Amino acid sequence: MESKRKIPVTGIGMLNVLAAVSMPAAIAAIFFLAPREETMGEVQRIFYVHVAVAWCGLMSLIVSALAGASYLFRRDLAWDHWSLAAAELGWLGCGLALITGSLWARAAWSVWWTWDPRLTTTFILWLIYSGYFLVRGGLEDGHRRARVGAVMTILGMLDLPLLFMATRWFRGIHPVPQGMEPSMRTALIASLASFSALFLLLLILRKVQLKQAQILLTCESAAEMNADDSPGW
Amino acid sequence: MVAKLWWMIHKDLVSEWRARRAWPSMLLFGTVVALTFGAQIEPLSQWKAQISGSLLWLAIFFAGMLAIDRSFAAEREEGSMDGLSLYPISSEAVFLAKLAVNAIALGALQAVLIPLFIVFCDAPLAAHPWAMLLVAMLGNLGIASVGTLLSALTSGTRHSGSMLALLALPLAIPVLLAASKATQCLGGAQIDADCWRWMQLLGAFAVVFSIAGMLLFDFARED
Amino acid sequence: MDDRTIAIEARGLCRSFGGRIVLRPIDLAIPAGQTVALTGANGAGKTTLLRILSGLNRPTAGKVFWFGQPAATNSPACRELGVVMHESQIYPHLTVHENLLFSARMHGVSEPRRQIHRWLESVGLERQRDCLAAKLSRGMRQRLALARALLHDPRVLLWDEPFSGLDRENAIWLRELLGKLRDAGKTVCFSTHDADFARNCADRALHLHGGRLQEHEMAMAEPIIASVGSSRARAA
Repeated sequence: MESKRKIPVTGIGMLNVLAAVSMPAAIAAIFFLAPREETMGEVQRIFYVHVAVAWCGLMSLIVSALAGASYLFRRDLAWDHWSLAAAELGWLGCGLALITGSLWARAAWSVWWTWDPRLTTTFILWLIYSGYFLVRGGLEDGHRRARVGAVMTILGMLDLPLLFMATRWFRGIHPVPQGMEPSMRTALIASLASFSALFLLLLILRKVQLKQAQILLTCESAAEMNADDSPGW
Repeated sequence: MVAKLWWMIHKDLVSEWRARRAWPSMLLFGTVVALTFGAQIEPLSQWKAQISGSLLWLAIFFAGMLAIDRSFAAEREEGSMDGLSLYPISSEAVFLAKLAVNAIALGALQAVLIPLFIVFCDAPLAAHPWAMLLVAMLGNLGIASVGTLLSALTSGTRHSGSMLALLALPLAIPVLLAASKATQCLGGAQIDADCWRWMQLLGAFAVVFSIAGMLLFDFARED
Repeated sequence: MDDRTIAIEARGLCRSFGGRIVLRPIDLAIPAGQTVALTGANGAGKTTLLRILSGLNRPTAGKVFWFGQPAATNSPACRELGVVMHESQIYPHLTVHENLLFSARMHGVSEPRRQIHRWLESVGLERQRDCLAAKLSRGMRQRLALARALLHDPRVLLWDEPFSGLDRENAIWLRELLGKLRDAGKTVCFSTHDADFARNCADRALHLHGGRLQEHEMAMAEPIIASVGSSRARAA
C-alpha cells in the first residue's frame, strides 16, 4: 500500500473548522445580509443554496471523471477511491439541486417541475450516476469495479456539454441572474465558499473511509490465507 | 486493415444470419412498439407530426438495445472474445467492427420502422427523404457508439441486458432529443436552420462517442 | 533463433480477486523451446496464471514479457502466441473451415487455404471441414481450437488443461503432438492437474500451491537439453 499521499490530519482539522465556521456565517448572510427579493419574497433565498449545491455537484462529477481517468492510467485504487467519493458527492449535490430547484419552481412558476435545460441536465446527470452506482454494485473485484466506474464517469463527463446543448435548444426558461445587488452577491459567494469547503471535507473523509475499508478487506483475506494456506478464488 | 475490419463484420453478419439470435427479436419488438404507438396517437391527429418523431426514436432505441446487447454476449459464449483479443489487430479496429455491425442492425431496424410509422402513425417522414436518411444515419451512429461501448462494459456483469438499457438511455438522451427534433422539423415544408442545428448536434455526438469508444474500448472489455 | 532467448517471462506477478489473493508474487522464465507443465490442484490458480501469461487478464501487480516485449492484447506481439483455453474460442455458427479462415485472415497468414488444409489433416478434421462448429463433439471442438491456435505458426503455445476429458487414444495422440511441437522448436506451457502427464510430456514441471510457484523435483534433476530426447522417448 502506498502511504506517500497521506493527508495531514491538521489539514482535515482546519477544513473542519472552516466548514463549521463558514456554514453558519453563510446562512446568516443568506437570511440577514441579502435583501428580500421584490417579486418572489423570502422564497428567493433558496437560490443561494440551490446555486451552491448545484455548483458543488457539478465540480464533484468533473473531479470524479478526472480521478477515473487517472485510475485508468495509473491502476492505483487510491484514484478509484477519489473517483467514487466524488461521484457520491456529485450525486448528492445534483439531488439537492433538483430538490431546491423544484421548490423554487413551485414558488416562481407554481409548478413543481419545468423542463428547463439546467434542471433537466442535472436530472439526467443524476440518472447517469445512479446507473453508475448500480453497475458498480454488481461487481465484486475492486479493480474491475474501478475500471467500469472510471469509464462510466468519463462518458458522463463527455455527455455533459452535448446534453446541455440539446436541452437548451429544446426549451429554456432558466432565470439568468443579472444585476444582482452587492449584498446578494456577497451572500451567494459566502454560500458557494461554505458549501465548497463542506464538499471538500466530505470528499476527503469519504476517501479516507474507502481506503480503510479496502485495507480491512485485504487484511481479512490475508488472515484467511494464512489460516489454512489454501488458495481461494 | 480495412480487409480485416470487413472480415470481422462479415463473420458477425454470417453468424447472425445463420443463428438469428438478435435481429428477429429486435424487429418484432420494434414492430409491436410501432403498432402500439400508432394506436395511442391516433386520436391526437393534429399533433401526430410532432409526436411521431419522438416515438420513432424511442422505438429505435429500445428495440436496438436488444441487438446491441448481444454484440459482446455472443463473443463471450464460447470465449471467442479471448480469441479476438489475441489477434494482432488494434483494439480500435475490434471496436469499429462491432460498432459497424450494430449500426447495420439499427439501419435494418430503421428500414422497417420508418415505413411502419408512415403507415400506422401517418407520420410525415418521407417529405425530405435524403435529409431523413442523413438524420437516420447520424442518430443510428450515435446510439450504436454509446451502446457498443456500454455493451462491452456490461457484458460480463450480472443482469447485463437490463443494465445496458439503463446506462445507455440517459447517456443517449442528447441523440434522442436531437434526432426526434430533427425528424419533426423534416415534416415541414422546408428544411430550416433549426433542423441543420439538430443534425450538427447529432453529428457531434456520433463523432465524440465513436472516438471515446475507440479510446476507452480497451479498458471496457478487459477482464 | 537463439535457443537461449526467454520466450515468456513474468516478473513479480500478483493477482487478487475481490481482496482475495490468488497469486502471490511469482517470477517465472520459460526459455524458448521448452515444454513446461503447470500443475496444481483444482482452483490453485493455474488458469488465472495462464490467462495472465497470455495477456488476457491483467495482473494486479507485476509484468509479463513475450520475447522481451511487454505483453499486450491486440498488439503485433500477439503473432508469437497461440492460446487454447478451456472455452474453445470458436464461433459456433461458422463452419470449421470458416472459423479457421477467419483466424487466418486476422493473423494475415499467407496462403491461408493451404495452411488450413494442412492443419485440418493433422488434427483429423478434414471430413468435418464444412460442418458448423456448433455440431462438433467436445473432443473435435478441442482439436479445432488447437488448429485455430497453431494456424499462424506461433512460437509459443499456451494451453489450459489439454488432457481434461480425453480418452486414452486421444491422450496418446496429444502426447505425440506435444513431441512434434517440441521437435519444431516451439515453446509450450500447459496446465494439468495430473502429475503423470506432466512427468511424461514436459521438460519441466512447475507446481502451483497456495498462490506460490514451486519448481518440481523432476525438472531439477534433469538438465533441460538432455530431457528433450529422453522425455520424448518416454512419451512414445
